[in-house]
Amino acid sequence: MPDPSHAGRVYRAPGLVVEAERARAFAEAIAGDDAVAEPEAVPPTFAAVYCLFPTLGQLFGDPEVGLDLAGLIHGEQRFSFHEPVRPGDVIDSQARIASVQEKRGMTFIDVELGAARADGRTVCSGRALLIMRGAAG
Amino acid sequence: MSDTLLTVRVGDVMTPLSRRVTQDQINAYAEASGDHNPIHVNEEFARMVGLPGTIAHGMLDLGILTDAVARWAGGSDRVAAIGCRFSKPLLPGDTITCTGTVVEVDEEAGIAVLSLEAVSDRGDRVLTNGRAEIRLGPPRS
Repeated sequence: MPDPSHAGRVYRAPGLVVEAERARAFAEAIAGDDAVAEPEAVPPTFAAVYCLFPTLGQLFGDPEVGLDLAGLIHGEQRFSFHEPVRPGDVIDSQARIASVQEKRGMTFIDVELGAARADGRTVCSGRALLIMRGAAG
Repeated sequence: MSDTLLTVRVGDVMTPLSRRVTQDQINAYAEASGDHNPIHVNEEFARMVGLPGTIAHGMLDLGILTDAVARWAGGSDRVAAIGCRFSKPLLPGDTITCTGTVVEVDEEAGIAVLSLEAVSDRGDRVLTNGRAEIRLGPPRS
């Protein structure tokens, strides 16, 4: 079970290359039956691909934290975009557990996200709030 | 995107965006995003963990909300920040409608703040506490 002692843990996902084809497929999946508005652009929420999923995937698999994926909810997500991301960019991402709190029988895991290009410039930062339902402890 | 200055005022309403989300679209998002959590793509598994069936990824819902903001603001590079609470799941076949209102304009910083939400056609408030910052000035390259 996650507990407050897990705050400060860091998960790194270095060297993710932003591929034009993948960004396009991602934009098409979001657009559904609509036409993609900007066929050449990388959608802002592509941050899910280069930052959120590769880092949180490691948190989910961290045996010392022991998250129960069956009861896990993505409660909130926020991103700030500092620099445009373009196809060909190589991005290093990381996630850091900012806090773990128990409230009303649920566990709230607040995660800080950051992503920087190879030249060191931050392209994206954010927060993910994960909630574990069920009787804690 | 347009290289002109955006003119918005507090109280301006974002052009709403409605989109019907199918299981095919959810499958496509799973494939493109790499999030293969079975609750999104496997009906049997989703029911086993107590859901009414498969549900769309929260990040797909937020992606559609971001698309609504980017289309209205004149390009995705204008989106400086966005976020929301995932309050209710969106189910395949549901139509999601994203709405927003300008609640703050900081001309000095060149930023406008939008309050956002998204509802489904079954009446669920899918995304709440939505907030975006958009850049008013021409994009930086």
